[in-house]
Amino acid sequence: MRTTKYSFIVISLLVLSSMILTACGPKVVTGTLTMLDWSGYELPEFWSDFAATYPQVKVEFSFMSESADSYAKMKSGFQADLVHPCSNFWKIMVDEGMVQPLDTSKISNWKNVNPALAAQGQFNGKQYWAPWDWGFESILVRKDLVQNVPTSWADLWKPEYKGHIALYDSGETAHVITALALGIQDPWSTTPAQDEQIKQKLLELMPNVLTVWSSQTELEQMIASGDVWVAASAWNASYVNMLDQGLDVVYIDPAEGRGGYLCGFAIPTTSKNTKLALAMIDAYLAPSSQAYLANEYGYGIVNTATIPLVDPNTVKLLSLEDQNIISRTVFYKYLTPEQRDAWTSVWSEVKTSK
Amino acid sequence: MGVLGGRSPPNTPIYLFIMKNRSRFASLIGPPSLYLFLLFLLPMGVMFIYSFRAGISGAAHDTFTLANYQQFITNTHFLRLLWRSALIAFTIAIVSAILAYPLAYYLIFRAGANRVMLMTLLIIPTWTSYLLRIFSWKLILGSSGVLNSLLLAAGLIEKASPILIYSRGAVIVTLVYVWVPFVALPIFAALERIDKNLLEAAADLGCKPWQAFLRVTLPLSLPGILAGFFFALIPTLGEFVTPLLVGGASGSMYGNLVQDQFMRALNWPMGSVMSLAMLAAVLLLVFILTRLGDLSDLAGI
Repeated sequence: MRTTKYSFIVISLLVLSSMILTACGPKVVTGTLTMLDWSGYELPEFWSDFAATYPQVKVEFSFMSESADSYAKMKSGFQADLVHPCSNFWKIMVDEGMVQPLDTSKISNWKNVNPALAAQGQFNGKQYWAPWDWGFESILVRKDLVQNVPTSWADLWKPEYKGHIALYDSGETAHVITALALGIQDPWSTTPAQDEQIKQKLLELMPNVLTVWSSQTELEQMIASGDVWVAASAWNASYVNMLDQGLDVVYIDPAEGRGGYLCGFAIPTTSKNTKLALAMIDAYLAPSSQAYLANEYGYGIVNTATIPLVDPNTVKLLSLEDQNIISRTVFYKYLTPEQRDAWTSVWSEVKTSK
Repeated sequence: MGVLGGRSPPNTPIYLFIMKNRSRFASLIGPPSLYLFLLFLLPMGVMFIYSFRAGISGAAHDTFTLANYQQFITNTHFLRLLWRSALIAFTIAIVSAILAYPLAYYLIFRAGANRVMLMTLLIIPTWTSYLLRIFSWKLILGSSGVLNSLLLAAGLIEKASPILIYSRGAVIVTLVYVWVPFVALPIFAALERIDKNLLEAAADLGCKPWQAFLRVTLPLSLPGILAGFFFALIPTLGEFVTPLLVGGASGSMYGNLVQDQFMRALNWPMGSVMSLAMLAAVLLLVFILTRLGDLSDLAGI
């Protein structure tokens, strides 16, 4: 009796202590990470490093159709851990305290990020934004359906494209391409008289416009079905996707210059998962992820260590290193709230004027 | 002093019944009323307050002004779009009613034993995703869609063109397709209530079938037609999903503008003004139209 009671006590103590010891070991990280991102970037190839390090963390994607959409969502209380707008909204979000500075020492791939692009994400001496992708906005044309391929933004107004043009549903984009078509050098410092001119010019374009698009998939469907012959402000990925589908398309280099954008990630101030968010940024900046972005979508990348992994044909196809084209590209600049309000109102009115 | 304040209350049976069983009615109506108050009236109140604000953040948020209302009235394009949407909604409601009536009539008077099965077949498409049904119209009406292929094969057109898609017509066609089953239901209910003996009596009195229809069936089913008409009219007035997908540039409706104000322009005050204006327009419409057909007939009171 005594020995059984004695051994029972010893065994229970042993079991208890081993349980306590295992509990003190490495814990599996759980939780949820909420991403506010463009559709298409949720593919696991873009964050494979994160999935490998934190297999128990649930990653939820919520989609934004344009940078203004992400701003609106966050303003109306949407809680995200990472947001991915483009540089024209970077300053506004910092100024309104919507995003927090990044601790780049926790991002292992930061040392290889193109310094010129990283500098664009710095405000008040702190790094708020991690740039990730850049690309063009240009005219995508179904060569087999049009008589003459347009060579400039101004060509969109030609009557031969009546009823077959699709425009991106953004007041900013509409303002910029119309300004360029009118020969205005800097669309971001237009006078009120020029703004009125732009509005009238846009109204003149409406007979040519079949519809406006807000999702890339929607646009690609319309181009593939032949409803749309000339797609304005189409992105690199659409060009690559249409070619992959065997369509006879061409991505124009307009006389006034292509539109250009730089987009990147930041952590909203309200996020409680800063550590995981930084790890996710690191995963997105990894060479494998950036190479996938360049090879499959044809976008420009920021991680200089990725160059050997990128398909040189894609680089040539999208002119990602063609300095002649890049120097003439009109990259999006910061938007003041007044400009955002004014340009969105004009666009709302023009869109529904038919 | 009665509930109607000053005037003596009516002596109708239903009114007397309610007054006698006040507490029972209160407990039955209480929960839904609370629900409506918290989730409908209160948010409307918040929106009403927002319509007077100057902006959504900072100092603008706390400034109250009539500027939004002024802008709404002076900038004609808001009212023009509301009018256009009202016309589109009207067209949809009327066409749906015209198409739904023969359907309901056939189900009641001719289907006989198959009535329930056919009714179910009518309702089944509404069980699929709303977006999916709109997308299917894109496939039918698009350049490489069914309609174009048919016309090309028949030799009626030389080149495929997105003739109907991305237009006001596409919005009307798609929404009529969506709403016909819903409009058919109240007409079905109204026709079912018609006493078949009335039609027999009409025949006995020498009415030809079409005369009996015009003088007996149609007037008695009028409350059902009106109910179906409203079923389709009120939601389509604020519709924005279908115009977004198949409306194109000329088919956008008032709802799209409201969405733009709230989501893109971040101009919640203006969006609130627009929403309240639409609410006022709908209430006015309902007020006018209910004077034409007594809605109490529908409730069976």
